[in-house]
Order: sequence, then C-alpha cells, then structure tokens
Amino acid sequence: MKSIAVYKFFGILALIGLLSCGKEPIDESGLLITGRNQCFMTFFDLLGSDHRTVLVSGQTVIDTTALTVTAVARFGTNIQRVKPYCSVVTDAIVEPTMGIWTDYTQPQKYTVVSGNRQVRKTYTVTVTLQK
Amino acid sequence: MKNITYSVLAVLGIWISTTGCQTKDVTPDSFRNDLLKKTTGPAVVGDRIEFAYALGTTEGDLQNVKAEATIAGAKGTGFSGYSWYTNRNTGVDQPVQTATDTVTNGTVSSAKIIDVATNKAVTLRYYYYPGEDAKGKDVSFRFSGTSSTGKEVSYQSPTYRISRMDMKRSLALVDGAKAYVSIADMAVYTKAEVEQNNLANKIDFVYIYRATLGTGNYAFGHAIVAPSNADYLKDVTLPTGLTKSRTAIDKRVDVKDAQLRGTTGFDVYIDDLDLQQTTFPNAADYAYGFAADQGAFVKTADGAYAAYVYVNSVNNGSKSMTISIKRLKLN
Repeated sequence: MKSIAVYKFFGILALIGLLSCGKEPIDESGLLITGRNQCFMTFFDLLGSDHRTVLVSGQTVIDTTALTVTAVARFGTNIQRVKPYCSVVTDAIVEPTMGIWTDYTQPQKYTVVSGNRQVRKTYTVTVTLQK
Repeated sequence: MKNITYSVLAVLGIWISTTGCQTKDVTPDSFRNDLLKKTTGPAVVGDRIEFAYALGTTEGDLQNVKAEATIAGAKGTGFSGYSWYTNRNTGVDQPVQTATDTVTNGTVSSAKIIDVATNKAVTLRYYYYPGEDAKGKDVSFRFSGTSSTGKEVSYQSPTYRISRMDMKRSLALVDGAKAYVSIADMAVYTKAEVEQNNLANKIDFVYIYRATLGTGNYAFGHAIVAPSNADYLKDVTLPTGLTKSRTAIDKRVDVKDAQLRGTTGFDVYIDDLDLQQTTFPNAADYAYGFAADQGAFVKTADGAYAAYVYVNSVNNGSKSMTISIKRLKLN
C-alpha cells in the first residue's frame, strides 16, 4: 500500500516536471504567443516633436466594430511629424510598429494581432486638424 | 621532495602573514596640490571654464600660484583672488580674499598668496574664457604653486575640447518691432533695420505673439515662424523683399540648457554633437505656444547653421519674448 502511494507521488511529480519544461512559443520579436484571441485597440494618442500630446482631449473615438480611430489634433499641429502610440488588449501586438515619426496628412492603417496570433484586425486611423 | 615543498610553503606563508598586512610608514609630502574642474558643461566661447586649484604646505609659506594654458584665454581669464567657505549659520558660500596680484599675460596667469602666516592651505578659482581662435581646438592647463622653502608642485589637467558653437544670450524679441531674427548674425532686427541694411535674405524666423488664432480662436501664444509660412504671417507686414526661406523648426519643451538659461541647477547642455546630429525630417517651419524654458532646434534653409533657440522668458502683456541661441556652423 505504502509503495503504491510512493509510486503515485513520484508519477505526479514527474508529470508536473514534464509539463513545466514545455516551452511557450514566441514570435519573431521574442514576444510570448498566448492562447488569447481577443483583438482590439483600447487607447490611441499622438505626440508632437516636443513629445507632448497633440490631440484634443475627449475627441478620440475608437470604433472596435468599424475598426476605425478618429482623432482631432490641436490647431497648429505639424501633422506631418507626429509619433503615434496606443494600447491594445492583453498579449496583442500592433503592426507596423508605432512610436516612430509618421505623416498623418493621410489616414494610416495599423493591424492589431491577437495574443494567439490567429486574429488580425486592421484599424484605419484618421486625424483631422483644428482649423 | 614533497617535504621540501611543504617547508618552503610554510616559510612563505609565515613571511606573508607577518609582512603582508604591514602598512608602510609613508611620510606625506609637505607641499601638495590638487585640481577640480567645476564646470560640467561644454567650453563655449562667451562662457567660462571654472577650476578650483588647491594647494597647501606644512613647511614654510605659500607664495605664488600659476596656471599656464596651451591657448591664451579671452578677457577675464585668470585667477580670482578669493577663496570660498560655507557659512555654517546660513549655508551660504562666502568669499574671503586669499590672493592678490592676479595677472594674466598671454597664456600664463598668476597670483600671489596673501596672509601667508595663516593661509597654509588655500583653494583658488581659475577662470578660463575660450577665445574665438580656440574654437574646435584642444586646450589643457598646467597649474603650479611655489612655497617659501623653494619647493614647487604642479598639476597637469586633462585636455578639453573647445566647442565650435557660438552662443548669444538674451535677445529681446518684440512682436511687430524687434521681431526678425538672423541665425547667421545671431541678432534680432526691426523691419526698418532689415530694409535699411539689406538683410532681407538673412532672416531665418519672425517672432509673433497671438493670444489666439484660427476660426475657433485656438490658443497660439508666442511663436517663431519662418518667412516661408504664409499662414501665420499673413497679418504681418514683412520687410520689402524678404526671402521666403523655409527654416526647419522643431519645438522642444524639456531641453533646459544651463548655459543658455544662465543659471545653475540644470545640468543639461546642448553640445556640438547635438547640433551636428539633430535631423529635421518633416519638421515644421514654425513653433508656437512657447513658455519659458522651452525652445526649438532650428536649421537654416541653406543648411549652413543648426541652432538651438532657448526661450528665457515670455510676456503676454508686452507681446515679447527673450531668447538665447547656441549655433553651430555646419558647412
């Protein structure tokens, strides 16, 4: 009886050990690929050359159904040189990478990719300027 | 053989354990000196490098100090006759005269220590003002001191590179008056001065103040605008023949250059490298909403100069702004 319990104990221990050694998959950027399939943007902002936001507060709308982001930049903003950044749902990533100086005189497209890298949703970001 | 090895090791161990930790009985030099460079920013023409040169003796009296620069400094270079101590009651540094006959002749500065009976150790300030001819060159200093015993001590400083930048502080801009700034001249002009002196092709930006602008009366404030920008200068009567040059202007709010600010406490400095390497992709030809301590990187339309324009102060009432400029010639 005692020996069966010991076998069971070590069997479970071995199983745990094997499972814990399993490698989590990572993508080409070294980011963890998880099981999450949620795929949406939660926040968007634009910075000017002085690294301060250029967007009018309360005017940014993220439509996760229509996959659009609309925002209004302050009067006088040099919309040709702004730096975007955003927040997305847990484990998701954005392509192409944000955080680089971008010309927003035309709408820009960014794809949010879910944590499991199976769901892709392309958002169109349109920024208008106060006149 | 083995026994011999053990014996040698044992003897060696005893010798090391008995002698290894002994401190050498070093007699300190009776006459010593040391040097501290107090200035942390770049050596720019128009500013100074400050050194604190200390020397002390336990034999005889201190006599003279000397500093020899490899390149002669500009006016103001030399020793100060004062040392400083901190008043323990107020926490404020107080000067006390410890030297006289502070003379600079060419590359050599000297001073004579006074009250030698009590001034057995003093720290003197030496100020070096880089001259125009030193720009881009390396300079070093040899400090030395003599005592009444005939001994001399000296200290050779490292080499310091003198900046190629030009610096101009406190240019007063007034909307509609002294509003036309030339980076090449590092000067501000009125419309009449621009016209009279044929400076129409040397103006890089215009200063304006508009509390609000646009159909929605949006906040605008203090701004610098390149002559190329028709939108923000449409209500300004520009000097006749003003070249519509497109100066690249890139605003910053967090570059509080200590030299342009003219006060201590901000150890941020624009250096040659910053102006050499700053790029202006898609940069605007204006910057607006300036407040004190903000500024903008600027590149002239002909690519000849890169500069940092620092805003010292703004005044909405008088529609005026005071700026300081660091400039580097690029080609």
